[in-house]
Amino acid sequence: MELIDKIKKLTSEFGVSGDEKRVSAIAAEFLREYTDQVEIDKFGNVTGFIPCGIEGAPTLMLDAHIDQIGFIVTEVTKDGFLRFMDIGVDQRMLPGSELAVLTRDGVIRGVVGTIPSIMQPDESAAIPLTEMTVDIGMTGEEARKTVRVGDYMAFWNPGFELLGDKLCSKALDDRACFVCILHALELIRNKPLKVNLLVCASIKEELGGHGSMYVAYRHKPEFAIAIDVSHAKTADAPEVTCELGKGPIINTGYNARPELFRLVKEAADRENIPYQPKPCPAGSGTNAWSIQLAGKGVATMVVSLPLKYMHSPVEVLHMNDVRNTGAIIAAFASSFDGRVEL
Amino acid sequence: MIELIRDLSMLDGVPGFEGEVRNYIRARAEKLCDQVSVDSQGNLFAFKKGNRTPARPIMLTAHMDEVGFLVNSITEDGMLKILASGSIDPRVLIGRKMKVGKSKLPGVISLKAKHLTKPDERKKAPELKSLYIDIGASGREDALKYVSIGDMAVFDSEFALFGNDCIKGKALDDRIGCAILLKLMEQELGYDTWFVFTAAEEIGARGAINAVQHIDPGFIAAVDSTGAGDTADTPEHLRSCAMRHGAVISLIDRGTVFNRALREKVTAELDRQCIKWQYRTRSEGATDAMAHIYGTGAKVFGLSTPVRYIHCASSVAYLPDIEAVLKAAGVFIEEAGDMNA
Repeated sequence: MELIDKIKKLTSEFGVSGDEKRVSAIAAEFLREYTDQVEIDKFGNVTGFIPCGIEGAPTLMLDAHIDQIGFIVTEVTKDGFLRFMDIGVDQRMLPGSELAVLTRDGVIRGVVGTIPSIMQPDESAAIPLTEMTVDIGMTGEEARKTVRVGDYMAFWNPGFELLGDKLCSKALDDRACFVCILHALELIRNKPLKVNLLVCASIKEELGGHGSMYVAYRHKPEFAIAIDVSHAKTADAPEVTCELGKGPIINTGYNARPELFRLVKEAADRENIPYQPKPCPAGSGTNAWSIQLAGKGVATMVVSLPLKYMHSPVEVLHMNDVRNTGAIIAAFASSFDGRVEL
Repeated sequence: MIELIRDLSMLDGVPGFEGEVRNYIRARAEKLCDQVSVDSQGNLFAFKKGNRTPARPIMLTAHMDEVGFLVNSITEDGMLKILASGSIDPRVLIGRKMKVGKSKLPGVISLKAKHLTKPDERKKAPELKSLYIDIGASGREDALKYVSIGDMAVFDSEFALFGNDCIKGKALDDRIGCAILLKLMEQELGYDTWFVFTAAEEIGARGAINAVQHIDPGFIAAVDSTGAGDTADTPEHLRSCAMRHGAVISLIDRGTVFNRALREKVTAELDRQCIKWQYRTRSEGATDAMAHIYGTGAKVFGLSTPVRYIHCASSVAYLPDIEAVLKAAGVFIEEAGDMNA
C-alpha cells in the first residue's frame, strides 16, 4: 500500500481520545508487516517490538499518537439536537461543519447548526460553542433512541489531495506520523540494528499524553522519539518559522535532548535529508513530555511533521515531508547504538 | 426526486455562472415540454401545454444560482482571495472544502491552529477579506496555472441522505425548487404553464425581472427554499417556519406582499387535500416573486421548502416537506387557472 493510502485509511476511521479502538486495529494490522511481536493493550495502545538480537541492547521507542480531536455529546434535547463539549477544537471551525456521530449502532452524520443569523447579526463575533448544537435529522424521540449522552463525535472530513503532492484531511494529527514510522520501518527492513525498537501507536495524547505514559512505564525504553505534527507557516500565522515541504522539524531543548538532536542531525546530514531545526525551550506539546518522566526517566527526542491548520477539519501536509520524516527516523534508528553522553 | 436533487446539488452555479445547472435542466425540459428557450440573462424558459389555456399565462419560477464566490486575487504565496456572490455569513466558511473554477479544483478555507491563537482571538470571527482558499499552490505563478481571476468557487459538500427522511448538501436553495419544477413537468397539467428557471436570484432576482417582462404572466409562483428557524434555542416567535411542518406559504417579505385571494384559494384546496402547509411568519429577504411588479402586473404566490442552515455548505431538508411543495405547486396551477386574471 502506498504511504498516502495508509494515511487515508488511518484517517478515514474515527477515534477521538479515549475511543481509539477502531484505529488501533488498523495500526496493528499495518505494524504486523514489520514484526510478529504486536500487541494491543487493554486501553488501545498498539506496540510492536523489533529486537536487534544483541544481548542487553537498549530500547528506542518510536511513538506517534492515533487519537484525534473531537467532541462528546452532553445532552440530547427534546427536539433531537445534540449539545456537546469539545476536545481541542477552535469553536470558529464549527458552524456549518459536518460531524460523524459515533453511536452504539454505528456512525451517523451530523451537521453543526447555530441559532439563526437574525439572532446573531454581529458577524465580527464568533458564535460560542454553547450556542451550537448538532443536527442529526431526527425528532427528539428518534434521536434519543439513536444517540446516548457520552457518545463521541469527530469531524467527518475524509482525505483528498491538493496541488503539489499535498494531502488534506482530518486527523493527520497524528496518524500521518504513525505512517512516517511505518515508512522508516520499511527503509530499515532487514538492516542490522544496534538497539531494539519499540514502535508505539498511542492513545489519548490530546488529553495530555496519557497513553504513551502507560506504554513507556510498562516497557521502560531507554530512549524515545515522539513523532508528532508541528505548525507550518500559513498566511495568517507568518510568525511561524517552519514551513510545509521543507522537511521534518527536529527539535532541541529540555524535552528534546540536545545530544539526541545532534545525532539525528548528523544522521540526516549523512543521508542528505532536508530538515528544519527548531528550539523547544520547555514543553514540546508532544508525548515526549509524558514519556520523559516515565519510570526512572527516558531520554526523549522530538521529530515533527510540518502541518498547516492543525486541529481543523482540513489539516494539510506535504507528502515529501512524510517521506523525509520517515527517512530521518530510519537514518537515526539504524545508526544509533545507545552510546550517548546525556 | 432524490436523484434529481442530488444531481442538481452537485452542480455548481453562482449568479451569472448557471451554465452547468441550465444544461442539466434543459436536457430534461426538452423531453417534457413543448417549447424551451434561453434568454440573455441565462434564464431557461420551458412551456408545457396543459388541458386548457388560462386567461393569462401561469408562470412558476425556481432559481438556478447558488450563493458562492469569485476569485478576486491571488497572493504571493498562492492563496486565493475571494468575493462573495450572494449573502453568506463568513462564519460558516472556516474549515470548509471548496471547489474552484471549471476544473473543480479542491481547496480549503481554514484558520491557523488553535494553539497559535489567544482566547480573545477565538471570540472574534474573521472577515471574508482576511480568509483565503488554499489549493496547495506553491505561489502565485503556480496557482495561475490552475486558477484565473474571476473563476467561481463554491462549497464542496457531498449530497447525502441524512437522519430520518432528510437530505443534506449544498445549494439546496434552490436546486430543490428546480427539481420540483422538473417533477411537475412530468405530470399532466390542467393549464398551460411556463416553467422558468431563473438566473441571479441571489443578488436581487435579476433574472426573474426579465423573465416576467418576457412572458407577462397573470399568475406567478416563486418556488424557492427558505431558512427554517426551528433550530435548538431559537425562540418560537423567531422561527419563521419549521422543518417537518410542510410547504411554506409566504404572506409578506422584503420584496413582495403576496396576493391574498390567490393565497386563500390555494391554501383552502391544500387543506381539502390534506397537504401539510405553514405560513412563513418572518422574512428579512425576498424571492423571485418580487419581479411581479414588472410587466402588466400579476397575482403572485410564494411557496418554499423549509431548509435548515441555508446558504451553508451543509443545508438540511425533509423529504416529505419537498413532496408537499411539489403538490402545492400543482394545486397553484389548478387554482390560478380557475381564477379570473
